[in-house]
Amino acid sequence: MFWTYLITGAIALVVLLLMFRMVWRVAEPNEALIISGLGAHSSQEQINETLGFKIVVGRGTAVLPGFQTVRRLPLDIRATPLTVTCVSSQGIPLHIKGVTAYKVGDDYGSIANAARRFLEQSDEEVKNTIHELFAGHLRAIVGSTTVEEMLHDRETLTTNIRGSLAGDMEKLGLVVDSLQIQEIDDESGYIKNLGRPQAAAVEAAARIAQAERDREATEREQVAAAAKAAAVRQSSIAQAGYQAEVDQANSKASQSGPLAEALARQEVVVAETETAKLNASLAEKQLESSVLKPADAEAYKQRTLANAARDAQIASAEAQAREVTLRGEAQAKATELNGKAEALAVQAKAMAEAAGIKARAEALATNTDAVVAQQLAEAYPEIVRAAASSFEKVGNMVVLNGAQGIEDTLVKTITMGGSGFALAKQLIDSLSTNNEKPTLEAVPDENTRA
Amino acid sequence: MVGKRGRVIGRIAPGIVGEVMLPVRGATEAFYAYPAADEVIEVGTPVVVVEFDPPRTVYVARAI
Repeated sequence: MFWTYLITGAIALVVLLLMFRMVWRVAEPNEALIISGLGAHSSQEQINETLGFKIVVGRGTAVLPGFQTVRRLPLDIRATPLTVTCVSSQGIPLHIKGVTAYKVGDDYGSIANAARRFLEQSDEEVKNTIHELFAGHLRAIVGSTTVEEMLHDRETLTTNIRGSLAGDMEKLGLVVDSLQIQEIDDESGYIKNLGRPQAAAVEAAARIAQAERDREATEREQVAAAAKAAAVRQSSIAQAGYQAEVDQANSKASQSGPLAEALARQEVVVAETETAKLNASLAEKQLESSVLKPADAEAYKQRTLANAARDAQIASAEAQAREVTLRGEAQAKATELNGKAEALAVQAKAMAEAAGIKARAEALATNTDAVVAQQLAEAYPEIVRAAASSFEKVGNMVVLNGAQGIEDTLVKTITMGGSGFALAKQLIDSLSTNNEKPTLEAVPDENTRA
Repeated sequence: MVGKRGRVIGRIAPGIVGEVMLPVRGATEAFYAYPAADEVIEVGTPVVVVEFDPPRTVYVARAI
């Protein structure tokens, strides 16, 4: 009995649970239960006018099966991407990409509006409808805005969007949580050109700055390189100097051996020189003693003798000279006297001769031929002798016409002397009587006359 | 709804639709806002709801 009750009770419980499950509906936070049917009216506290259906949000409710129907209206967020091709207020064609996030409003009025429109529609259909709606609104908004405003002034854009959508959204019972424009594309390159001046200016500034810094860096680098080269040069010069000193010391050291040797040899040579000097002086002294001193003595002797001889000679010479002088004086005196006598004699002679010449000249003047012939005859032997002596000098004489020729030659030679006298005669004639006698005429040649 | 204090998140000015955040249903929600008096209310200004137009429109004024 007990078990029967238990099982019956259990079954009854299960049935009750099932029945409860069939009847009781609980609304989740992101959905609203729309119940319509028998007795399904909104309570007074919610809305004044009767809705005609009951909206339950956030709690559970019993739904009479058969008499009432219940639908769930999702209140969660829905997102729709928007891709719109439109034209801005300047007439520039744009591709706008955006996204919109919307949901059914949480207040009963919005839920009622949305329920009446979207309750039975699938998500896809709702999305399409909303997309078309929003695209149209966006086109309208873009058409009243310039591209610059769209790019730079989002606040204004949002306000415009809100203003445009507000009425429609209220009608639909939807709430736009966010409408964002993700991309604004234009095929004509308008937006790109908007940015070009600025980009070019920035690029130019960057290049200038880079070039400036590059130039500075290169200048500094080169200054540093020059300083480095100077330091290297300094070090090299110093090193070379030290190397030279080292080399010098090395060579000195390497030369010290030969140098010492040379010095030693030098000393030896000096000593030898000294020895030689001493030898020479010894020889000198020896020579002195053996040769010089006796020679000196001899010389002294000779000198003394010579002096004596000289003195003797001088004395004798003096005596001779005295004698000669005296003799000479005597001779001179004698000669003087002689001369005087001679002079007188000569004078007399000359006088006589002059008288004779005068007489001769007188004679010549009157009878020149005889005087000349006389003179010629007096001098004839001398003339012949002179003529003959002239042939002494001749080594080789060739006479072409034999003996006659020799005779002719002799006569010619003599005549030459004779013609001299003829000339002299002429001269004397002319001298003594200038007027009477004719002038000089050529002495005719004996040969031609003969 | 009237008297609730909120904050401007979209500029309110005559002729354009602004947005305010109001604390409602345990959290804040965004409502379309119009100025009650013709004034410009910038973003971030505390405002107070003067009038409510269901489901999503409010008229606000500066909250001093």
